[in-house]
Amino acid sequence: MSDNNSTGKKVGKSFLSMFKRLFVRDKIEKNILEEEAMRTPMKAVMHRFIRNKMAIIGFSLFVAIFLFSFVGSLLNPLDRALDLTNTNIRPSRNFLRYPRELADLNIVKIISGVSFSAALTDDGNIHVWGAEPNREMEGISQFMLQVPEEIQEAHIVDIAAGTRFILAVDDEGNFYGWGHVAHGQAEITSDMRRMMSINRTEKIVQVLAGTTWAAVLGDNGFLYLWGSIQATSTFVIPTAAQGRIVYVAAGHHNMILLLDDGTVMPMGDRGTEFFLNVPPELQDGSVRIVEVAVTNRNVLARDDTGQLHLWGSVIDGLNSFPEDMVPDNVVDIASAYNNFVAVKDTGEVFVWGSNTLGQLNLPRNINQAGVTQVFADAFQFYAVNADGDIVETWGNRGYIFGSDQWGRDIFTRIMHGGRVSLTVGIIGVIIATLIAIIIGLSSGYFGGWLDHALMRLADIFDAIPFLPLAITLSFVLGDNLNEAERMYFIMIVLGVLSWTGLARLIRAQLLLEREKDFVLAAKALGIKQRSIMTKHILPHVFNFVIVSVTLQYASFILTEAALSFLGFGIQEPTPSWGNMLDGAQDSIVLRYFWWRWIIPALFVVAAALSINMIGDALRDAMDPKAEER
Amino acid sequence: MLIKFVIKRLILLIPVLLGITIMLFALSRAMPGDPARMMLNPDMRPELMEAALQSMRERLGLDQPIVVQYFRWLYNYFVLGDFGHSSLFNRPVNDVIGEPLRNTIILNATINVIYLIIALPIGIKMAVKRGSLFDNSWQVFSLAAFSVPAFFLGLSLIFIFSINLGWFPIGGMPNRALLQGTEYTLQWVRTLVLPATTLIIISLAGAIRYTRNAMIDALSQDYIRTARSKGLSEKVVIYSHAFRNALIPISTIIVGVVFSLFAGAAVTEMVFGYNGIGRMIVAAVQGRDRNLIISMQLFFSMVSVTAMLVADIVYGLIDPRIKLK
Repeated sequence: MSDNNSTGKKVGKSFLSMFKRLFVRDKIEKNILEEEAMRTPMKAVMHRFIRNKMAIIGFSLFVAIFLFSFVGSLLNPLDRALDLTNTNIRPSRNFLRYPRELADLNIVKIISGVSFSAALTDDGNIHVWGAEPNREMEGISQFMLQVPEEIQEAHIVDIAAGTRFILAVDDEGNFYGWGHVAHGQAEITSDMRRMMSINRTEKIVQVLAGTTWAAVLGDNGFLYLWGSIQATSTFVIPTAAQGRIVYVAAGHHNMILLLDDGTVMPMGDRGTEFFLNVPPELQDGSVRIVEVAVTNRNVLARDDTGQLHLWGSVIDGLNSFPEDMVPDNVVDIASAYNNFVAVKDTGEVFVWGSNTLGQLNLPRNINQAGVTQVFADAFQFYAVNADGDIVETWGNRGYIFGSDQWGRDIFTRIMHGGRVSLTVGIIGVIIATLIAIIIGLSSGYFGGWLDHALMRLADIFDAIPFLPLAITLSFVLGDNLNEAERMYFIMIVLGVLSWTGLARLIRAQLLLEREKDFVLAAKALGIKQRSIMTKHILPHVFNFVIVSVTLQYASFILTEAALSFLGFGIQEPTPSWGNMLDGAQDSIVLRYFWWRWIIPALFVVAAALSINMIGDALRDAMDPKAEER
Repeated sequence: MLIKFVIKRLILLIPVLLGITIMLFALSRAMPGDPARMMLNPDMRPELMEAALQSMRERLGLDQPIVVQYFRWLYNYFVLGDFGHSSLFNRPVNDVIGEPLRNTIILNATINVIYLIIALPIGIKMAVKRGSLFDNSWQVFSLAAFSVPAFFLGLSLIFIFSINLGWFPIGGMPNRALLQGTEYTLQWVRTLVLPATTLIIISLAGAIRYTRNAMIDALSQDYIRTARSKGLSEKVVIYSHAFRNALIPISTIIVGVVFSLFAGAAVTEMVFGYNGIGRMIVAAVQGRDRNLIISMQLFFSMVSVTAMLVADIVYGLIDPRIKLK
């Protein structure tokens, strides 16, 4: 037997070799009788199908999209927690990719915002890397990754990062800020300047930044804070602390002030565990704290013996140490948005807290890397050795397809959305096809008044245009449905409103086939009416059904996308390719957050295209006349 | 003969019209909310509310049997031409529909003229040069255009030509109060370009395919072989013999497309903020305006029923074989 012979027999094997055929044309010819003997009509269709390059490209593309959606969504659970910190971040995987020249320099400090990090080196320069956080409106912000010129000439002594801006101060007390600084964070206000001269603060030793505010600590222990009204009213600096502050650690709406006697003082949101649960020994002077780190709800403090103290909310497990960690002999602590990090004198690194963006995925060899210090901020972590070089990084590497208006990863939403869109489409097609088969067959088989009635019914469904009716139905019936019910509802609407074309086709085909000579021959042979129907006529009709199902599947995916785009389809928070696009009706999204509409739309196009290619190829393969075309 | 044919078609329409109106009537009654309550001032004192509701129900005829309500509804719509009151615009529905209807007709007229001018020659050339590079590339185009959602095409055109190049307005309609004379006309043309392009590309996909297949069928007929063997020039064979016959199936699809664009343009009109009837129905559903929704539905249905009828008659007019049946 030749190679080709077995291909005809084993469909599975042929799909493997079909890729080969994409590039290599096999020219083994057989004589007609040989070919005739080995092929049933179904095999012939299969054979023609896999010889069509369009079919193979379409089939591979569809399998890829299918696996991506179904297997991908199993492996990557959908994160339903909303976090408004990381909204609208452009696609990038560069968040942790620091510049090479840092290897030759000594790093003093590394700070991070939502999508960028910046390092201060001991020569007083700033190096920024990562991705540009979005510009929400033209003109509001400057490019983050571009360090302003006047800073390049200054000798910077401290830097801080807000979510989308950077602040810096130089050795002459000059203050700089760039990025999204709509609340005036980039400049010390004249009020603050006046206060500073009253308090005789001459030099700034520390800069702090939140989402909407900025703060500086003077060399004589005075703290100054300005920014949005909400921030300035949250933070009331206790007069008892002013003049005694040596270090400040800040979350977005809370702070811990470290005073000159080694005690701590909380500030910010009153009434939270953060504020209320401060251990008494940290305030009565019995323990001397040297370093503090805070998240938005928790505090980690290190005393002069290397012991750690921890308090705050139970959320994300931040109020207890990891099980395998003994909280002593710690040399460095740090905090990210929802994580704490501790480095022991042995070089062991511990991280705990939330793991939504891979914050807990420590690099494997980190404990042998000689880490002495970890810089953590936002969602990025940088481990540094005694020479001041970065040895390991982990945390948020970036969003490959960007993030949406709720800070969700578009990549995982595309997978889950694909599963929803592909499923809704196929179930809709199945419903439509079943209705069409029942109505088409009974109309064509029984004829008479039933045929008339059913065809008039089809006329009625045809006369009411699909899209207006679908959105009206979604309003009339879909109003009180929950998320999941609504999904089934869309499948049913798609199915119930789109059976007419196929039903007519089946009926016409049935009538056509009935008049053919081979049916007459079968009748003359005395074959029963029923087996003429099932064995001779239906297989021919079946071909049309297959092609129609395929092409309709593609159109249902487009229709679901259009319905959801208009807001009448699958509802948030369940993702579908269509409802991921609905933000695109906003011209700001259209203009600045292109990844939020182009990427889901491209998946819709790819899915529809692949299915259409398969459908076209199937039609060509099933229609012997097609080769003439 | 033709009159008999038309009458037969009209009789067949009666059950369809009945079915449509019953369905729409049921739809209007199934909508959430009490229509009588919606007509009343919600701040009314509760003790007065009950009586007011009662009299309003009587005025709207809601207290009568459902069959009576249905015929009253039919009478209002078809005999009086009264489509009720739009709660969204707080005006009679008849006044609200006028301008969007005009806008949609302008858009559709533009599209249909242009896309036929493009589609027919391309489809014919594809059929004549079957298998050539020309044929294959337009086949690929048609496959791609079939797979692109209208809103994505529209958004991409806005992104490229309105936002990045600034050639056309991002959306919305020209304002008569601000612009005058030629400026107003010019702005109209600029407003039309992108939505028309979107719809032309989408409708072109089907049209060139259909023309191509109709032409191929016509070209494979025996009379074409006869014409060629008579020694007629290829031009005469294609345009005089084949194309005339291919026109029969093509003409029906044209009628279908002309009418389907009315309803099918909803998404495109939404994307471009084009004040047409497609956008109107989306607005009506979002604004829960029951009278407007049902009136628009009825309008769309009547348009497509007319389309079905016109397609049948055109077919009968063009194809003598059908008339004889």
